[in-house]
Amino acid sequence: MERLVSSLRVRLIGVVLVILAALVPPLYLGISAIVREGYAERFVNSLRAYSRLVADELEALDERDFDQRAVALLDSAVLSGQVVFAEIRDGQRTLASSIATAPINVPARDDFHFGDQGDQTYFITHTLNRGDHAVLLRLGFDEVPTIERIAAAERSVLLVLAAFVAASIAVAVWLSWVIARPMVRLQEAAQRVASGDTDTQLHVRSSIREVQELNYHLEHMRRELVGTNVRLSQEIREREVSEQKRLDLERRLLHRERIATIGTLAGGVAHEFNNIMTPILLYSQLALESVPADSALAKDLTRVITAAHRARTLVTRILTFSREMDSQQPTVFPLRAPVEEALALLREIVPANIEIVFNAPAEALPVLGDASLVHQVVINLCTNAYEAMRRNGGRLAVTLAAVENPPESQVSPGCYHVLEVSDTGHGIEPAVLAHVFEPFFTTREVGEGTGLGLSVVHGIVRSMGGVITVHSAVGRGATFRVYLPVPTVQQQETARVASAAS
Amino acid sequence: MANVLVVDDEVEVAEVIRRVLERAGYSVTTAHNATAGLDAVARQPPHVVITDVIMPKVHGVELIKILRERYPGIRVIAISGGGSFGPLAYKPDAISTHAYLAAAREAGAEEILTKPFDMTDLIAAIRRLLPN
Repeated sequence: MERLVSSLRVRLIGVVLVILAALVPPLYLGISAIVREGYAERFVNSLRAYSRLVADELEALDERDFDQRAVALLDSAVLSGQVVFAEIRDGQRTLASSIATAPINVPARDDFHFGDQGDQTYFITHTLNRGDHAVLLRLGFDEVPTIERIAAAERSVLLVLAAFVAASIAVAVWLSWVIARPMVRLQEAAQRVASGDTDTQLHVRSSIREVQELNYHLEHMRRELVGTNVRLSQEIREREVSEQKRLDLERRLLHRERIATIGTLAGGVAHEFNNIMTPILLYSQLALESVPADSALAKDLTRVITAAHRARTLVTRILTFSREMDSQQPTVFPLRAPVEEALALLREIVPANIEIVFNAPAEALPVLGDASLVHQVVINLCTNAYEAMRRNGGRLAVTLAAVENPPESQVSPGCYHVLEVSDTGHGIEPAVLAHVFEPFFTTREVGEGTGLGLSVVHGIVRSMGGVITVHSAVGRGATFRVYLPVPTVQQQETARVASAAS
Repeated sequence: MANVLVVDDEVEVAEVIRRVLERAGYSVTTAHNATAGLDAVARQPPHVVITDVIMPKVHGVELIKILRERYPGIRVIAISGGGSFGPLAYKPDAISTHAYLAAAREAGAEEILTKPFDMTDLIAAIRRLLPN
């Protein structure tokens, strides 16, 4: 920008200099010529008049003593100060002033231009009629005073022009400064904005309208920039928050899934293990009865029995551990609360091509159990639903309702609070539908899911004394309904007391 | 001689219980599912039925209910492997041990044994029911 400034000023001054250079010399020459012409004309006119006067007097002179009188006349002309040469030619005779200062060899010509010949003398010749013959009067006038006056006048012109040039340059410099200064200011302000200081207003005073407008537009740009910055940083913050939420959700889902896996493995292993341990323990005890009490075999069998007891304790401990990992005192809570919380999380991760619709009555719809498990049920069902719609998009509807004697064969008559999750996805094949609640059953690729999700959901619903049903056809979406029994007044009271106690 | 029917889908479990009880002087029949158990009861009603609670198809609680209904005189001991399996995997102990055994007790099981139990516990339980 410094380059632009200097170039702008230099250009302005340069233009003025060029104009002056083109203008001033001819101006000077022109004025000088006029001055010189004027002086020369005045000089020539006055000396012509003077020489005419001298000629007239010479004509009027008497014949007697003509020569004497003529010389006296010439001398007086010389003495008047203007004439530096004077002579009269009468035939072969020449009469001249004896006191003339320029007794030079006069050329044959006369009426030369002023300043010619470089002799600083102007010659005029008059032909006089002296009776019967003609006489030539020649006068030479001193040019020097006139030449000096011309020179003085030319010096004055030169001075005036120099003053004009100086003033022009000064004006050009001032003008370039007036234009360049606000631009430099604007440029500095723009640089501040560019280097991050977006808070300082651009305010450059200038009487130049273009500069004012430039200032206005730059300020407008700065405000736009500030607004954009604010929007961007807000978006970034929002994105960070939602990313954090998503990570949190992922972590929680993972944690749930891990606990579910531990619970499943521990529970399943424990069942099998206990069945296997039963014959080991009982056969050992039977055998122990058949051998002498002090035999080595009896000692060995006792050791087997002790080991079996230890195994039994270990299994009990594992079961207790896995239960404690995720067991909570059942409470009565409104079904809506965990569902809404889960949907809030899901909205963060479900892509925009899937519409989430939530319908619930105004009533609380109390249910008995662990709210965090219902939360997990919703997450699981909705995650499956959105997986089914991931490619083509669709509509994920979550509905809560109070239902009496539902028309479903698996559900025994009674009052239920129902959570329904339906999607418009690809649906479930009949062969798959029969197994969806089995653990480790999955249609996903290895590594994409554990196949525990729906079995966990099933387990949670069963643990709450509820029933889960599924209806689906290929291409027609799927609908999962969770029927949770309406807690009795007594259950509600117990839960209230228990939660108050804890 | 008192008759005992053992119903358990685990063959080895049913077999070892038969051996223990025969040693203790009981006449023992075994069945490996609830339906076979009911058939055996129909052929020769036992004094005591020992049944596993968690079995495929018809589970133990159902069997106990039917026995109570049809044969009110038969005493019932419920046994369970603890833990859990299948869709009931979640909160295992709460479901199988507590819920199922509680359901079994409610349905009419007078004694509850959790596998693996000791021989003495088994015999003590059956003697409490048949104190002759």
